[in-house]
Amino acid sequence: MRNVLSIAWNVVRDASRRRIFYVVFLFGLVVLAVSPLLPNFELGTTGAFLKDISISLTSLFGVVLAVILAVTQIPGEVEKRTIYNILSKPVNRAQYLLGKYLGILISLFGIMLVMSLEILVLLGAKTSVFSPVILQGVFAVFLEAAVISAFCLMLTTLTSVPITIFAAILFYFLCHIKTSFLHQKLIGSTSGFLKVLAGAAYYAIPNLENFNISQQVAYGGGASAYYMLRITGYAIFFAAVFIIIAFAAFRRKDL
Amino acid sequence: MDELAVGLENIRKTYRIAGTRKKKTAVEDLSLAVHSGEIFGLLGPNGAGKTTTLKILLGLVYADSGTGTLLGRPLGDRSAHASLGFLPEQPYFYNFLTADKGLALYGKFFGMDKGELAERATYLLDLVGLARNSHLTLEKFSKGMLQRFGIAQALLNDPDLVILDEPSSGLDPVGQKEIRDILLHVREQGKTIFLSSHQLSEVENVCNSVCIMNAGRSVKEGMLSELLKVEGLTRIVLAGAAGPRAESLDFARSVESSEGTTTLEVANSDTYRALEEARSLGLELVSVEPYHRSLEDLFLETIKETAS
Repeated sequence: MRNVLSIAWNVVRDASRRRIFYVVFLFGLVVLAVSPLLPNFELGTTGAFLKDISISLTSLFGVVLAVILAVTQIPGEVEKRTIYNILSKPVNRAQYLLGKYLGILISLFGIMLVMSLEILVLLGAKTSVFSPVILQGVFAVFLEAAVISAFCLMLTTLTSVPITIFAAILFYFLCHIKTSFLHQKLIGSTSGFLKVLAGAAYYAIPNLENFNISQQVAYGGGASAYYMLRITGYAIFFAAVFIIIAFAAFRRKDL
Repeated sequence: MDELAVGLENIRKTYRIAGTRKKKTAVEDLSLAVHSGEIFGLLGPNGAGKTTTLKILLGLVYADSGTGTLLGRPLGDRSAHASLGFLPEQPYFYNFLTADKGLALYGKFFGMDKGELAERATYLLDLVGLARNSHLTLEKFSKGMLQRFGIAQALLNDPDLVILDEPSSGLDPVGQKEIRDILLHVREQGKTIFLSSHQLSEVENVCNSVCIMNAGRSVKEGMLSELLKVEGLTRIVLAGAAGPRAESLDFARSVESSEGTTTLEVANSDTYRALEEARSLGLELVSVEPYHRSLEDLFLETIKETAS
């Protein structure tokens, strides 16, 4: 565990050095820039609209950061040969991979925590209402980013960085738009084969729309605790699947 | 010297050539034995398979076939790495870390506690001449400083076996000398050193056994003193210049005089005759020893032979 934590902490230090955290402040600036443009509807509507936009922006920045952080980890270390200094020590490849992933998660969590605080402050300033429910929305975005970063980390053990980035973009859109399409095929198709195929794809591909709770957060009282627990488990399941595949590919990879 | 620090048997490694179905052989039927306490030099021209061999030892690359042991454990057993130090060729480190933070990171992988780490880091940074730069980030280090830092991290766990890939690569003569001094210091501590190098003089100065590789195969291996010895020839060093009187030594294979010293290479059967002639010429005996060629001669000769 010590090895995993040491590697993870080093990822966090590297992320802060790479000025990725500047994105957080850029995020704040974007929200600040958008905020005065919002029409002053009746009290409550502006706040809801701002919450919706903030979570959507968090999602956008979160996904971009997840991809940047994940695709640069292993290929960067192999290219610079810094990986040799780690794996020649009593560190096995599973520990290395887990450390990298944990480091990405901690970095993303830290970044999103700061983003949440920025939203809370801006919302407070704009509507004079403290809205902790926003944390729920940002946490769902974090879960989505965790799945996407695991997917990217897996791909970097299998293929090149440009292909990984392309595949990550494809994965993101596919996992957001496929749900309704596959669901329709699953329910409405008369062909048994098509039903099985749609069903297999429906369950095998993560449904990233599950993590989109901006509507509940902005216009309702947020998602239920049961739903949050369910999507946490859902994210852990898919992240674990991707990390296991990554390990299978990385275990005997020539470096 | 009986225990094996490194043992490889019939190792073969091929790589797929990118974009084709063809494979390139990097190492072929390689067997090596490095005994504990030995300073072993792995030599060979570029592309001979030296770095691949080191990577196989370290578990960074997997052999297609063959077996091996590292510090008495099968290759791939990570527990052997607790007693291992490694310096890669032209090493890169996390350049956002300072030298002491870098050592602290690597030390954690050996389970070293803070106090032990701090003590060891101070000692090693002093040994490699970086004590005053311990708080500088590694991105500010010159190539030579990085190389020395690399040696410090390779010695961090007080390893039984140190594997060094081109430790003097790209260094100026002063830097090369400093690295050589550090290697000699490590040798004095009784460590096993596995050195891959292009610097033949460095290998000749510090190693006691070598393996020359060419095209993925071991083409010459053994104790350096044995390999450099030329059967049937004796080298005699005499104080005083033979000058024009050297005609009486014309049976010698070669006679060289410089700075008041005369060096003769003679057939073993002519040794006593040469000593008598030298005495009659008033030259004082300094040493008599079996004639050795240089490692450079041996290396070039071996590569030429195996290339043809």
